[in-house]
Amino acid sequence: MTTLAILQDILIQEFDLTREQVAPQASLSGLGIDSLDLLELMFKIEDRYQLAIRDDIPSNLETVQDVVGYIDGLLARRGPPVAPDADLHATG
Amino acid sequence: MRRVAITGMGVLAPLGADVAELFTSLLAGRSGIRRLTQSAFEALRSPIAADVDFDGGAHFETAQLRMLDRVSQLAMIAVAQAVADARLDLSNADLDRCGVSVGTGSGGAATSDEGYHTIYAERSDRVKPYTVLGSMHNAPASWIGIEYGLRGPNLTYSTACSSSAVAIGEAARRIAYGEVDVMLAGGAEAPLCFGVLRAWEAMRTMASVDAHDPAASCRPFSAQRTGLVLGEGAAFLVLEDWQRAAARGAPIHAELRGYGLTTDATHITRPSVAGQAAAMRAALRSAHLDAAAIGYVNAHGTATLQNDPVETQAIKEVFGTHCTALPVSSTKSMHGHLLGAAGALEFVIAVGSLERGVLPPTMHLEAPDPACDLDYVAGRARSGVALAAVMSNSFAFGGTNAVLIACAPGFDPA
Repeated sequence: MTTLAILQDILIQEFDLTREQVAPQASLSGLGIDSLDLLELMFKIEDRYQLAIRDDIPSNLETVQDVVGYIDGLLARRGPPVAPDADLHATG
Repeated sequence: MRRVAITGMGVLAPLGADVAELFTSLLAGRSGIRRLTQSAFEALRSPIAADVDFDGGAHFETAQLRMLDRVSQLAMIAVAQAVADARLDLSNADLDRCGVSVGTGSGGAATSDEGYHTIYAERSDRVKPYTVLGSMHNAPASWIGIEYGLRGPNLTYSTACSSSAVAIGEAARRIAYGEVDVMLAGGAEAPLCFGVLRAWEAMRTMASVDAHDPAASCRPFSAQRTGLVLGEGAAFLVLEDWQRAAARGAPIHAELRGYGLTTDATHITRPSVAGQAAAMRAALRSAHLDAAAIGYVNAHGTATLQNDPVETQAIKEVFGTHCTALPVSSTKSMHGHLLGAAGALEFVIAVGSLERGVLPPTMHLEAPDPACDLDYVAGRARSGVALAAVMSNSFAFGGTNAVLIACAPGFDPA
């Protein structure tokens, strides 16, 4: 799954949105997602990708696509990534 | 000084999800106290409480729930009931002259508890961003203000067990002084999380679980009483300038005629007969009523060893010989102690009793403490009682005493 698709799933789940609403160009503020919501969103991203996001979230993330770009940047900096669609919660 | 009308009431309480259900339960002597069966509470000495069957997910969207502690959720539901009950149409109101007044003792306790758990138990830095906003004591009042667009005074009072009686009295005073016309006033408390229950347990003032029937564990005025039982819930009133209410043909439950506010200033927990008596006298004075006008007192009646005889003595000092004809009951025997929301719930019960001509009982009172010898309406409610004025007492740790008096709409003792 692409970063976009994963992010869209999380947004749909956490913010009661439809797939149409979370198009790449959709504005975060237009979707009712403010800075505190974004922080909570990042917890979900951390869980999904087994990331630890240490830096402050940039204040210029305005669209869904901006967040995709930010996540991809974090994944690239981390190095060899866990496959995005691996089942991180599998036991054994 | 203007007169204050009570035009709407709403509750979300251990005994009912609305005022009608609350009164059905009260008059049947039903207890909302139960054993807490969730494994999280196993370690408590007395795992009992009066909880509310309420799932926020059924009332609020996911995105909103993120920001709302249970205390704010309960408050908003109860306020909505009160506003609907009052048939309050705010679309034509001067919203700068409408405000909110809330009492709470613990604020967003569960949010706070969860945050501390994350920090200290999980040793994680992933504290939820909404932790401060969810736990702050003024959150319920602020969300109510936002919901209804009310730009007048928005205040939160925290005086422990008298918080919402204070919130109601202070709101009424603002209306009486002409500063505002409408106030949504009441209280909310959602303290039933492990940390809070543990902390209360540490004071050794909580009731033991009754061996025969956990629901009977709260026994105000009884020789067998063992302490208080915590509860959760919210209760709200719509208070309105009387002229405004009459002009719009509002349903008027009662007049909020008296408010007495005193402080013990003696001890951080032990109640004072003088302080309580002074509060009741102050309420009577503010209502321009003689003690003999009061037909029912909803007591503070926590069932702690300290409160009940002190309150009994204070009532005797204020009411004198009228005590022989004055029913006094503690409905905490059924709904538990809602702490910051207790004053509001009990005042709603007093007003509702006034309207219905009923006396809710003090349940689980078989053998009274010898120092407690008033008519506590023991064991069974009474109906068909002619009531013109009722009193509700709230006395608190820290010593802030608040007493409210409500009168029937047509009552004029002059």
